[in-house]
Amino acid sequence: MILIFQRLWQVNWAEQWQYRANLLMYLLYWLVSPIIYLAVWTSIANSKGNVNGFTANDFITYYMTLLIVDQVTSNIIIHSFGYKIQDGTLSGELIRPIHPMLTNALVNNVAFKGLTIMGLTPIWIILFFLFRPDFSHVTLIGILLAIPAMVMGFFVGFLLSAAITALAFWTTRIYSIHEFYFALILLFSGQFVPLTLMPKVIQDIAQYLPFQLLIYYPIQLVLGKLSTQQIVQGYVMGFIWLLVSFFVFNWVWRKGVKRFSAVGA
Amino acid sequence: MQTLKLLGSFLKINIQMSLAYRADTVVNILLNIMWLGWELLSLNIIFSNTTSLGGWTLGELIALLGVFRLVNTMMVALIWPNTEKFNQSIRDGSMDYTILQPINTMFLVTFSRITVWRVWDLVLAITLIVVGINLSGDIATASSILTFMLLTISGAIVIYSLWIVLIALTFWFTKFDNNVTILQALMDSGRYPATVYPAWLRIIVTFIIPIAVATTIPLQALRSDLNAGQIVMFFVIGVLSFWVASRVWKSGLKRYSGASS
Repeated sequence: MILIFQRLWQVNWAEQWQYRANLLMYLLYWLVSPIIYLAVWTSIANSKGNVNGFTANDFITYYMTLLIVDQVTSNIIIHSFGYKIQDGTLSGELIRPIHPMLTNALVNNVAFKGLTIMGLTPIWIILFFLFRPDFSHVTLIGILLAIPAMVMGFFVGFLLSAAITALAFWTTRIYSIHEFYFALILLFSGQFVPLTLMPKVIQDIAQYLPFQLLIYYPIQLVLGKLSTQQIVQGYVMGFIWLLVSFFVFNWVWRKGVKRFSAVGA
Repeated sequence: MQTLKLLGSFLKINIQMSLAYRADTVVNILLNIMWLGWELLSLNIIFSNTTSLGGWTLGELIALLGVFRLVNTMMVALIWPNTEKFNQSIRDGSMDYTILQPINTMFLVTFSRITVWRVWDLVLAITLIVVGINLSGDIATASSILTFMLLTISGAIVIYSLWIVLIALTFWFTKFDNNVTILQALMDSGRYPATVYPAWLRIIVTFIIPIAVATTIPLQALRSDLNAGQIVMFFVIGVLSFWVASRVWKSGLKRYSGASS
């Protein structure tokens, strides 16, 4: 099994490396929104002193951490896999004795991530000198607590996206569904603004949804803003969602593969 | 006159093409309304925490959102589909046939594909601008509205010209497939007044990829933040950029030598 993953890694890394120029463009595209939000909120915080207790530095550290956390927990499964179901190239992978989504596609995503993080590192350092965040209150314990949370967040997000991608067995409109999913992430994950500044209703709902596990929860862990009770609660929620998303994906996948007739192949 | 007639037939062809995907159109419009809801909610979140963003009021930001949506519509309804077709035609050499047509090639390349349902977006954008101006309480005089409209048009021309330059680069570098991604990447910066951005970002979105020229600047004219000299300058920039773009396009076209033949 380890040998299989090793081989898959070699193949997928080489494949992603081929597209490094595209990857850089993707990175640029993805960077702009968080930087704009950062600029907007620090401008407000600077003019008022603070926004509900958030100082300009709180916003800067939040979005600077978000850049890393989002890059670790997000995935591109819809783009790297959706077309395989639609054009039938999936059949070649289905006859292999390994799960196409949980091995090959997973490793492909991790390889993509490895490369984007390599590209992000110098950009992040430049941004660090441009915005000069004060990270002095970040502790090693916070970072150590955040790493498993990010891994958990990645798997929850990966399985949910994989389930949406597997809807391609039934419909050709997965990109529209994915756009809707993306809007839910914007609303409930803390990507636009720290969740505590969102309207109360959204905060209450967000607590029970998986989206904050992708962004808000790991960031707050890194920044050391959570009480012990909140930390435990987050991990419990994460574990529950991990199980739920695994079962949902598995169910959709099984049903879908049965329907699959490899159009055109 | 001939140009308008052509534009009419392009529209007709594109309507016919989109009629084949009616359900998609409905889904797209629904998604579009969803995003409008999100944009208004995000403004609401900002303004529930503050009364002004860099000196701009809620009404002004709604109007800015309208102008942003105008530019964005140009991006998704015109720039993306035509770029895709253009890149394809350079790769497979079908550009040959476009050049043979007895009409301005630049016009043909940039207007033959139009995502028709986006017309709805234009209506929405103009509604946002009108509502925003009314909400803002800015004293909109006839002359400030006129300069606003002129600068909106000239800003759109600046973006259009930059697009021409970007796709014309394909004549020199055939493998330049990502030609408009850079434009799209910075597009989102147009949602907020460029004056709240740190200096380096403001310089990028004003001078290098001038999204702000098409979004923030017209609104500043409406807020009477600009003096007469600046208004004339931005208008001249619009005219000048179009002239430069058509020169670049012409010399690029001279380098085109077909794909296979």
